[in-house]
Formats: sequence, C-alpha cells, structure tokens
Amino acid sequence: MKIEVLYPEVANLYGDLQNARYLARSCGAEIVNTSLGEEPLFASGDPALVYLGCTTERGQSLIRDALEPYGDLLKKRAEFGLPVLATGNAQEIFGEYIEDPDGSIEKMLGWFPVHAEREMDRRYNSLYWGKLEGMDIFGFKSQFGHSAGDNGAGLFRTERGAGLNPNVKAEGLRLGNFMATYVLGPLVILNPPFAKYLLRLMGVAEPALAFEEAAMDVYERRRAEFTDPNTGFIY
Amino acid sequence: MKLKFWIALLAAKLSVPALKLTRHKGTNFPGELALKLCPDFLKYVAKPAHIIAVTGTNGKTTVANMTCDILEKAGRRVLHNRYGSNINSGIATSLISGVSLFNRARYDLAVLEVDERSSKRIYPYVKPDYLVITNLFRDSIMRNAHPQYIADFLTAAIPAETKLILNGDDLIASSVAPDNPRVYFGIERMDTDLTACINLINDVRVCPRCAGKLTWDYVRYHHIGRAHCEHCGFRSPAYDYAASAVDLEAMTMTVADGAGRGAYKLLSNSLFNVYNMVTEIALLRELGFSHADIARLMDGVRIAESRYLEERAGSVKVVMQMAKEKNALACSRAFDYVSQQPGEKELFLMMNCLGDVKHWSENVCWLYDCDFEFLAREGITHIVATGARSLDYRLRLLLAGVPDEMIDCVRDEFEAVDKLRFAPGSSVYLFYGTDSLTLAFKVRDKVLQKAKEVAQ
Repeated sequence: MKIEVLYPEVANLYGDLQNARYLARSCGAEIVNTSLGEEPLFASGDPALVYLGCTTERGQSLIRDALEPYGDLLKKRAEFGLPVLATGNAQEIFGEYIEDPDGSIEKMLGWFPVHAEREMDRRYNSLYWGKLEGMDIFGFKSQFGHSAGDNGAGLFRTERGAGLNPNVKAEGLRLGNFMATYVLGPLVILNPPFAKYLLRLMGVAEPALAFEEAAMDVYERRRAEFTDPNTGFIY
Repeated sequence: MKLKFWIALLAAKLSVPALKLTRHKGTNFPGELALKLCPDFLKYVAKPAHIIAVTGTNGKTTVANMTCDILEKAGRRVLHNRYGSNINSGIATSLISGVSLFNRARYDLAVLEVDERSSKRIYPYVKPDYLVITNLFRDSIMRNAHPQYIADFLTAAIPAETKLILNGDDLIASSVAPDNPRVYFGIERMDTDLTACINLINDVRVCPRCAGKLTWDYVRYHHIGRAHCEHCGFRSPAYDYAASAVDLEAMTMTVADGAGRGAYKLLSNSLFNVYNMVTEIALLRELGFSHADIARLMDGVRIAESRYLEERAGSVKVVMQMAKEKNALACSRAFDYVSQQPGEKELFLMMNCLGDVKHWSENVCWLYDCDFEFLAREGITHIVATGARSLDYRLRLLLAGVPDEMIDCVRDEFEAVDKLRFAPGSSVYLFYGTDSLTLAFKVRDKVLQKAKEVAQ
C-alpha cells in the first residue's frame, strides 16, 4: 500500500506532512513523494491515498502548474474512489482562481465554483469544530483571507468557527473521495475518528491507529476545550 | 510641525515621572500614548543622527543587546529599546526618552531591536543606516505565516538607502530588499555540516529563482547552509565576513574579511550564539572597529540570562533553557543543543502558551513542525510533560520515538516537579517560553529545592 505525497518540497508548512506519515505508520503503508515536474504516482500507479499539504503563495502557483496536466485525471480518479486529501491553503488550488488584494487574479484548477480572496495584511486565525458523518472534527485555521462561492455541503459541517468563509457553515470541498479543507496542521493526528475514516477509504478493513490511546486522550481533552462555550474561537 | 505632535510629546514626557511614581517603569505607555494622540508621531520625533536596527526571527535581542553593551563599553552613548518592546510603541517610547521637551535629539546613536511584522509602521519614519537581519525562520504560524512572507514584508518596508547586514547562510534572509546596498556574513563549512537537511523544517527546498532542485553544498540546520541550483546557476551569496575554524571545545573562531582577519573567543558553545557573534562582528566591522578592538570589547559580554541559566543543587545541574512557545524552530534548536550535551538528562517541558490557555486553546501545529525526534537521543532518560498541552506533548514524543515509560504527563507544573528523579550527576533541563517565563522561574525554585532535598 502506498500513500502519495504531492510536492512536499513546497507543500510542507505547519506540520501538515505528519498527517500522511501518521496514516502510513498506522497501516504500514509506504510514503511516495512526488516532486514538481515528476509524473505523479496516481497517473500510472495505484496509491491508496494522495495527500497535498499547506504551502506558500508562490507554492500555490508552482503546484497549480505541476498539477494542471494531471488535474482531470486526478479529479476522475477521486470521483471513482481514490481518497485525496488537501489541507490548508492547498484547498484554494482546486477553486477557480485566487484574487490578490490589488485585484489581480490567478487562475487555479477550477474544479469547484469557488475562489479565494487573499488578504495579505490580515491573517485569520481560529479554532475549528465541525462534523463529518457524525464525527466531531477539531482543528485550527490560519490563513490569509477566505474563499467565496458555492461549495455545496462541503467536507465538514461547521459547529463553531468559519466554514468556507465566516458566513457559510459548509467547510471545505468534497467531490467523491476528494476532500479539501482550510483546517491545517496535524488534522488527521488530532482526530482519530477521521484518521480511521480515511484508512477505511484506503481499504483498511479494521483500522488501528499508531498510539491510539494517546491520540484519543488528546482528542478528548481538545473536545472538552473546543466544546466549552467559554473557549474563544477567533484569535 | 503639527500641534498634535507637540501635545503628544508633552503628554508622553509627563507620563514618564508619573509611571516612575506608580512603579510602572519599563512599559511602552509613553509611546502608546504618543501614537494615540498623534498617529504619525514617529515621523516628527527627533532621531539620533545614526540608527542601527536589528531584526530577524531569532537572535535579534541577543545581537541588539550585545551591540549596545559593546558600543557603550567603547564609550558611546547609545539610545536603545532593550527595556521596552520592539514594536512601534516601544520604538516611540525609546525615541521619546532620547529627546528633550523641545524635541532635540540627545543621542547621536540608536540601536533598535525591531519586530519584523512592525516594519511597515516603523521604517517609513525611522530610517536605519544599517539594518541587521539575523535570519528568517518559520515562527508563529498565526502571526508570521511563513518566512518568505516575512521576507516580502521586509522588502516592501525597508528604506532604499539602508545598508543591510545579512546572513549569507540563509537564502531567505539574504534575499530581502535585493536592490539595497548589502554585505553578507556566514560561517564556512564545519565538520558537523551535512549535505541533506535532517530537520522537519526546511523552508528552502527549491531554487528561489527557477524552482528547480536545489543542491546543498552543505547544510547546518533547517535552511542554514550553502546551496546552488544546477539548472539556472543560482547560488548562495559570497561572504563579506566569513567565520572559519569554529572550535566549540576550544571556544575559538576566526573571522576574515577583505581588510584582514581576527581571532575570537566564543561567548557560548551553541552554534546559534556563534552566529549571533559573527553577526555582531560584521556589524562592528561595518562601523569601523578593528578586529582587535572587537575581540577586546566582546570579552566579558554575556548572553542574556533569561535564555540560558544553570545552577547546581548537590551533584545535579538545573538548567533553564528558553525554547519559545509556538515556535517550532526555536524549540528544535534548543532540543538539538540539549540532546547533545554530555551526561544523563531529564527534561521538563513547559513551553505552553499561557495566554492561550486563558482565552482559547493553543494552536499545536508547531509541535508537528518541531524536531521532537532529537529528544529520543541517547542520554535523555526521562521527560516530564506539563501544562494544558501535556497530552499533546506525550503523543508527539511517542511519535518521535520516545518510549512511553520515559514520559510522565502531569498537567500542573508544580505537581509535575515531584516526578523528577534527580539521578546523581544528572542534569535537569526546564524548557520554557517567553509566555511562561515568570512561571518557569517559580517552577525552577521548586526544582532546586527538591533537588537539594534528594541530594541530602
């Protein structure tokens, strides 16, 4: 079993890469890194999951360029069951475009009728609590601006925090097994139920997580903090 | 000059004795008040004729303080912000203290530590002759995002005439404001250098010019080292001030430049502080000091004690090691350094962000950027994880390869001290951040007391 990590040389911010490592460790999968300019494994091989992490603004452009020739294929494969997870601002690469504060527009892959509106002078920082198929999802957001447009039901249903933007409850993007979310960092590690959900999508029948008891302790402490109405959500 | 400015200056000046009377010395209140009354106060307040600014992710306080100490030792009167903050209100407070009621500058020279993110509010009005950039690393995810963002931010804010003194071993810092006059400092290849990065954080993995694969001639830690691109010919800048023969045991090094070379005694055996010294030497050389004078003036200069402080209790050494909360890189450097110190070590992790505990919940992304793997090295026998994020530390330590039986997890910092074992001849390291500084010193007192009890 292989987990493909796309462009880790530029998509590696905020500990995101540890998500793929945690899944690999939990199921004995091998990590395959695909660099800019290389043919992705999903184009000719059969990864169990494709992962893309958070990146810089320049990184978004480089990834868009690298992924463009394979975009339709990845979309089709995700629609037919290949789990793909993109975290943080990697989500924006799959929208229509990114708009900079000066009004300039950079086209993205256009899988979804949404676009990002960057605010480079204002960083949005918050906690996040959402739901996915009955699971509680806890995590963090830290981003320059939000996205606008129609993301349908999204990936998560927001309980507290911002969805695609602060006015929307649907958080992230979902198409078949393609999943993207603004939630960044160790999302998978901090959410054992979500980690198991992904492992099941990868074909692991009875998933067991690495250091599951310790991970659940962390999850429950975070649940207590995030569901406490006295806990502030926006920094 | 605007009436608002004169009112602001008068009010700020009057606030100083009032603060002294109420024992509120060292706050930024005068600057805050002045900026509130006159938002462009920094534009009008008189400045010293010569201004040196120091910025960067790590080491800016050390370098700025060292610069003040050395210049004062050399007989110069220096205006500085070492007792205030490094944001615009702190700079304003310093400048207020450096002018008369009639707005006459009373100093000829200022050394200002400047927060990177405050650049846009400071440099349009306070134009440094020299700006030192120690390095640009990943810092607080929430405030600084990523180092290239900070580099772009600085580039947009730095005045065109400012001469930059840049870390030539840092491809991000050295890329700032490319049209400005500049010199580079660095440390030539060391025996301990590698050709591939072993850290989780490496923010220069592709060529900054063409995004092609970057080849490292050598890498020291994270993105510090020298690299070139086979594809477009890009390479790290040549040094103007090059340290070599760095000997961490003999505590010596040599620094060479176009006009000569000098032998120096190291002030600390941490490589980070060696960089701080080389930075300082480059700055002082730019100011016209000879190598011999710099070596003489540096002798006896101390690194700030809040960052590293050791004390003995019986045969046990208790060390305060600042690691900065929510800063993966600072913690990685501290972990690397401590894990390589000789002997048996117990670690006490209390880098929790106490402000976040009160109001939110700490963003823990940084834990997964930080090299906790260094704590699985031989010699570390026991780790006590404390505070609101103690369970997060435990999970991260387990993933880093630290066996569960070596970890104790206690939320209350004072109760956690009871878990320490104080093996004879061992060292106890307390890792803390700026936010937990006061608490850390209280905890240290209990650690010392316990260590003495165990020793009896």
